[in-house]
Amino acid sequence: MSLFDQFLIIAAVICSFSGCASVSMDRAVEAETVSAVSESEYSDSDNPVEGTIYFEYDKYNLSASAVSEIRALANSIKSSSSKVRIEGHCDERGTREYNLALGEKRANAVSELLQVNGVSSNSITTVSYGEEKPVAYGSNESSWSKNRRAVVKVL
Amino acid sequence: MIYRISALLLLIFSSLLTSGLRIEITEGIKDPIRIAIVPIVWNLENPPREYLHEIISSDLESFGEFESLSPKEMLSLPKTDKEIFYRDWKLLDVDYLVLGSALQGEVAGEVVVNFSLFNVTRERLMKRSISTGTTFYLNALAHVISDRIYNEINGLPGIFSTKISYINKNNSSDEKYFLRVADIDGRNDSNIFSSTEPLMSPDWSSDGRRLAYVSFEEGTSRIFIQEIYTGKRKSLKREKGINSSPNWSPSDRYLAAVLSKGGNPDIYRYDLEKDTWKQLTKHFGIDTEPDWSPDGKKIIFTSNRSGTPQIYEITISNGKIRRKTFEGTYNARARYTPDGRSFVFVHRRDELFHIAVQSLRTAKLQILTDTRLDESPTISPNGKVIIYATKEKEKDILAGISIDGQTRFILPTNSGGVREPNWSPLLVSTSN
Repeated sequence: MSLFDQFLIIAAVICSFSGCASVSMDRAVEAETVSAVSESEYSDSDNPVEGTIYFEYDKYNLSASAVSEIRALANSIKSSSSKVRIEGHCDERGTREYNLALGEKRANAVSELLQVNGVSSNSITTVSYGEEKPVAYGSNESSWSKNRRAVVKVL
Repeated sequence: MIYRISALLLLIFSSLLTSGLRIEITEGIKDPIRIAIVPIVWNLENPPREYLHEIISSDLESFGEFESLSPKEMLSLPKTDKEIFYRDWKLLDVDYLVLGSALQGEVAGEVVVNFSLFNVTRERLMKRSISTGTTFYLNALAHVISDRIYNEINGLPGIFSTKISYINKNNSSDEKYFLRVADIDGRNDSNIFSSTEPLMSPDWSSDGRRLAYVSFEEGTSRIFIQEIYTGKRKSLKREKGINSSPNWSPSDRYLAAVLSKGGNPDIYRYDLEKDTWKQLTKHFGIDTEPDWSPDGKKIIFTSNRSGTPQIYEITISNGKIRRKTFEGTYNARARYTPDGRSFVFVHRRDELFHIAVQSLRTAKLQILTDTRLDESPTISPNGKVIIYATKEKEKDILAGISIDGQTRFILPTNSGGVREPNWSPLLVSTSN
């Protein structure tokens, strides 16, 4: 393989990566306007009992799509009899301790809906991290919308 | 020999690097008090290389209230009262003058500083004082002298011997969380505790010897108390859900804190003698961020019981709760001023978060800061200065403002990631 061929391949790979990045970025922007859209389909995990639910600023109510996402999660959790941990998170705006409380409300909202859909409370633990564990570090809506989330993880 | 030199250089460089939190005034008062600290006369065999008058001058200038004259500008360097020509100092617009001399103490390394403070306008001696310290740690001695000068001129305790605790975490997921304590001038910046999981909400005990804070090292939040000088740690009984926002009572017997074991975050009181929790508020909304009033009778806190976060105050003896803020839709994390007459808090206006102050009597709200993502205000023990956390170019930094809004400063660091400042109480007595 010539040097030029290698360059072409590398360039193609970079282009495809950056292409992906811009697509998911657009979707993130959409998510903030549509409000609390579940984005678990973009999460790293392929495990059907894991997912991420997104929230509106300073809110802990669930959107319609989050509700259907959580219902699907509930079915997977029940059929695999998994134990899950729900982490509640916030964006950086506002005070840290208030955000810790807000993060718990988010985790609890997801936990309650899982229970309504038949998941035993014994299989769920919740923890709030408030704004202490962001996934995006910018001080802008595109970072904030990624950080306002509840993450369901299998234990 | 080369090893020794490089070790010495390393020591110098590392101390330069760690002393990150230097105060940089960005906006001073128009008419600061002008003071001249004449270089201290050293009657010692081995005078230290650091200059006491320079540390005192920089202390007094640090919050913008004073402007000090450099020795180069002085027309004379008097050693005794008799050598003072007030006319010279008036010519230089000096308000106050300090002379001093240092003697060898009784023990090796001990220094005794005699100093005198003069009011130039009135042409008279205000105070003579003696301070004892060591040559190994000249800064501490200088801070005590600065505190006394400040106290004599302003009638308030000086804050130059105080410390600040803060949380340090850099913006990447693999960085650790550090709980650190530094002198208020940025020196002696040292690590108290570190963890790969979040650390939050440090709060000094009223005796200045312990820090309460929240650690997630066990996977969920738990409140810990750590002795600063021995490193000894103890944890409070952990309850289900959130364990957060520890705040010492003025007597150090209790901690106010937040637990959500009842299904939602409420304010509780932990009795450190009995190791028991007592619930103080009960509401289905969020109650959090408690702070004890200086007289220990009330607790101010944040609650969203009205639909948005607002400031409330509870009288502990009868459980009566009163709402304190009505302006705006986000008012949170209030801290009483040391006189108990006002509180400083986070206020949102036009989607930006600022530090504001409100009088408890008149309920008048005044926004103090013009930065945008401000939080965690902490007030100096003399009530004059506020340090808070904010963002500059997407970095977490500390900034400050005088409570009258006239002086603004920042505490820049190279790395950023500095947040949750908490000012210590007075650590040495400034009266004499």
